[in-house]
Amino acid sequence: METEIALPLNRPAPRAAATANDPQLIVQAQAGGRGALDELARRMRGPAYVLALQLVGNRDDALDIAQDALLRLFQHLGRVAPDRPVRPWLFAIVRNRARDLWRSRAARPSESLDARPDLAAQLAGPAGDPEQQTALRQHARRVWTAIGALSTAHREILVLRDFHDLSYAEIAEVLGIPAGTVMSRLHAARAALRAALEAEGVRHA
Amino acid sequence: MPEPCGRSFDAALLSGWLDGALTQGDEQRVRVHLEDCTECRTRVERMRQLREVTMSTEFPVPPDDQWSERPRTAASRLSLGTGWIIVIVWALALAGYGAWELWTSDEALVAKLLVFGGWTGFGLLLVGVLLDRLKAMKTDRYREVQK
Repeated sequence: METEIALPLNRPAPRAAATANDPQLIVQAQAGGRGALDELARRMRGPAYVLALQLVGNRDDALDIAQDALLRLFQHLGRVAPDRPVRPWLFAIVRNRARDLWRSRAARPSESLDARPDLAAQLAGPAGDPEQQTALRQHARRVWTAIGALSTAHREILVLRDFHDLSYAEIAEVLGIPAGTVMSRLHAARAALRAALEAEGVRHA
Repeated sequence: MPEPCGRSFDAALLSGWLDGALTQGDEQRVRVHLEDCTECRTRVERMRQLREVTMSTEFPVPPDDQWSERPRTAASRLSLGTGWIIVIVWALALAGYGAWELWTSDEALVAKLLVFGGWTGFGLLLVGVLLDRLKAMKTDRYREVQK
C-alpha cells in the first residue's frame, strides 16, 4: 500500500545547527586559552558525534570516533587557518576514522559493524504538537531507515549536504573528491534515496 | 546522467538548483527547463521535501559529562614532563645516597644485606609498576586529554 505524507510546506526548510567559524575563538584556542578550547569543543562535539553516528550507526563507536576526532583537531589546531571553516577539517577526520573502523571490523568478523545501520533508532524523541509530530516522526524514521540502507558513498554525501548543510566545496574537502564530482554524486544519492522510499511505498504530497 | 523526462538535459543540475550551487548560466538553463517540464519540477519538489525532512530531524548528543576532549596545553605538558624528570632524578639520587651510606656504615653485614635486599626488592616492584603504567599511557589515545 502506498503511503502519502503531507508535509507543512509553508514553513522554510530548517537549517542545520549553526557552527560558523569564530576566527577570534580559533586564535584564542591556538594560544592555549582553556575557555576558548572548551568553547570550541562544545561547539564541535555535537556535529562530530552526529556525523559519526550517521556513518557507523552505533552510539559507543560514534562517541569514540568523535572524541578521537576532537583530540586530533586540538593536536593540530595550529595548522587550522582561523578564517576557514573548521567543520570540514573535523568531518574529514570523523569520516576517515569511521572508515578505519569499518576496515578493522571487517578484518575481525566476530566484531562486524552493521553494513546498514538503523539510523531511525537513533533519532531524538518528538517535540511540539503530538499529532503532527508523530506523523512527521514516522516519516522521518522511514527516511532515515532508507538513508541507513544506502551505500556508504551515498550516505556520506547525503548527510553532509542535507543534514549538516555543508557547501559543495566543503563536501569536496571532506570526501577528498573534485568539487565537480559533488553535484553528480549527490544527485545519484538523492535518486537512490527516492527509489528506496518509493520501493517502500512512501511518496510525498 | 540522462534526463528523466527524456530531453537533453543533465539531471544532476536539478540537485545543484535545489542547493543554489549552480553557475549563472546553468541556473538559467535549469530555469528555462523547469518552466515547461512538469516531471522535473515534481522531482525537484520531492527532493526539496526529502531535504526538509532530513534537516528537521534531530539526533541526541551525549550529555556533557560523557565528554573528555580538552587537550593538555603545551605549558601543562612541559611542566608535567619536567616534573617527572626531576622526581626520577631525585629518587635515584636519594636511593644511591642511602645505599652508599648503608654500605659504608658500621652495621653488621647481615643487617646491611637485609635492609639493602628489602629496599632493592621494593624498588624493583615500584619500577615494574611504573613501566606498566608508562606502557599503558603510550597506547592510551586519550593521554593528552584532561577532564
